[in-house]
Order: sequence, then structure tokens, then C-alpha cells
Amino acid sequence: MTRLQIEKTKSSPEIDFNGETHIHLIQGESYPENTQQFYDPVLDWINSYLAEGYEGEIVFNIELIYFNSSSSKILLDIFDMLDETKNEKIIVNWIHDEDDEAMEEYGEEFEEDIEHIKFNIVAK
Amino acid sequence: MLSQSLYSYKNALDREGIIFTFCGPISHDIVEGVGVTLKSQLAESAIKQTTAMKVFAVFIEQVQNVINYSQERTDFDSDMGMGIIVIGEHKQKHFIVGGNKIKTSKVPILEKNLTELVAMDKDELKAFYKQKRKKNDGDDSKGAGIGFIEMARKASQPLEFSFEKIDDEYSFFSIEADI
Repeated sequence: MTRLQIEKTKSSPEIDFNGETHIHLIQGESYPENTQQFYDPVLDWINSYLAEGYEGEIVFNIELIYFNSSSSKILLDIFDMLDETKNEKIIVNWIHDEDDEAMEEYGEEFEEDIEHIKFNIVAK
Repeated sequence: MLSQSLYSYKNALDREGIIFTFCGPISHDIVEGVGVTLKSQLAESAIKQTTAMKVFAVFIEQVQNVINYSQERTDFDSDMGMGIIVIGEHKQKHFIVGGNKIKTSKVPILEKNLTELVAMDKDELKAFYKQKRKKNDGDDSKGAGIGFIEMARKASQPLEFSFEKIDDEYSFFSIEADI
């Protein structure tokens, strides 16, 4: 599986998905000009990656300072894709600044709909 | 001779507590540029970081609404939407107001949706937000239409909105969130 790396900009996050370490990162701010266009390769990569069926531990570190409402839809799509695998070895770490209550609450709202994978809310 | 009246125009804005205003074609570059400036400006002011992030979040939803939905564009398929954005502070409250032209035929449905939205309490807004965020909810708008719900959740009082009919084809829509 190739590595997917996208550099961060003012309005889009850094993406670093690594099919060898199985530790994946989304970090920064997310309010791109065209949300679907930005995230299409990200969603495609996850789809192919999950189809490979890696059996070890898979970690997604999501560390966002801000995301807009259309990015929120995409994040939900990502979590749905992960959760639908029913793979308990998938871990999402929702990482937020310890003073950022709003980001903590966003994490809790995603967590409410997750049934199978692990979803940790981590204060940093 | 606008140069002669510009100072009084600026003073009028100052009196209204306006800290930022933009009127014209809004592009994504402007969103990014102003976003970064606004965040550092708010960070340096005495307001709480949580309030600053709320103002920033509502600003982003407002400007992206103008870019995506304004019916007034520099050309037909332009990435820029014409509109107006005003951010200000009055009696320790921040207000973020956005306005743009829409089709008059869209007024009734938008008015209905927003009227329902402003009647919701925080829990109802949360449930509605989560529902609209899901895939295939039959909404064909670019950003899911959840931008307004997000604004309503950030605001400390119900959103205010109005429609001003320009002619049979176009109306001017404006919406305000107070934080």
C-alpha cells in the first residue's frame, strides 16, 4: 500500500497515511475551498487500505484545531467506513487541546455513533 | 470624492463597533487570509479563546455560504460569490452578519427552514446537526445545509435573518449570528 501524504495549507490539514506502520494522521485545520475534492483521494485511499484487510492494530490520529461543517460530514464518512469493518483493532484517537472544550465535545458527538471500533478522546 | 468622506465612513463603522467588513467578490484566498488575520486579532484581544474560535467558526460558515450560494457572481461559473460580511462587537457581544443575493423563488423554503431552526433549543440543534450530517439525507446542497445549524449552535441567541425583495428574480438574504 502506497503512502498518502498531503502537506497542510492554511485551510486544509496534513494527511499522512502509512500502510507500513499502520499509523495514520490527519492534523491541522480543515475548511478547504472544495471539501469533497480535497477529501476524495483521502476516502479512496482508506477504501483501498481497508480492503487489504490488515489484521494487526490500526491507528488513526485525528488532531484538528478547527473544521467547518462540510468537513464534519467527511469526518463522519471516514468514521462510518472504519466502523463498518467491525474491526476492533482499529483505534481512532481524537486528539484535542486540553483547554479546547468544543473540540472535545465534537469528539464525543462522533463517539456516540460508533459501535465497533475504539474511539479515544485524548486531551493534549 | 469619496476620499473626503472616507474618514467619516470609517468613523461610522467604528461607532457601530465594526471590527471587520468586506463587500464585493469573495474568494477562498480572502477566506484564508482574513481567517488567519481574524484569529490572531481575536487571540490578542481580551476575549476568551473559546469565544474567539466561535467567532472564527461562524465567520467561515458565513463566507463559504456567500461563495457557494450567492447568485451574484463575477461570471457565471466563477469561484467567487459577491456578498457582504460584517463582524463587530457591541456590549461585549460579537455579531457576524452575512448577506448575498439569492433567487426569489428560493425564499419560501429558506425562510421555512430557518424559522424551524431558530425555534430549536441546544439539544434539538444537536440532534438536527447529527441527522443532517449523515450521508444520503436527500440534501443536494454543496455543504449539506448544516452550515446554518453549525452557526445556530455556536450563537448565544437565535439567528436573525431577513429577505429583501429586489425584483421577481432576485432577493437579498441576510443572516446574523451573535456570540
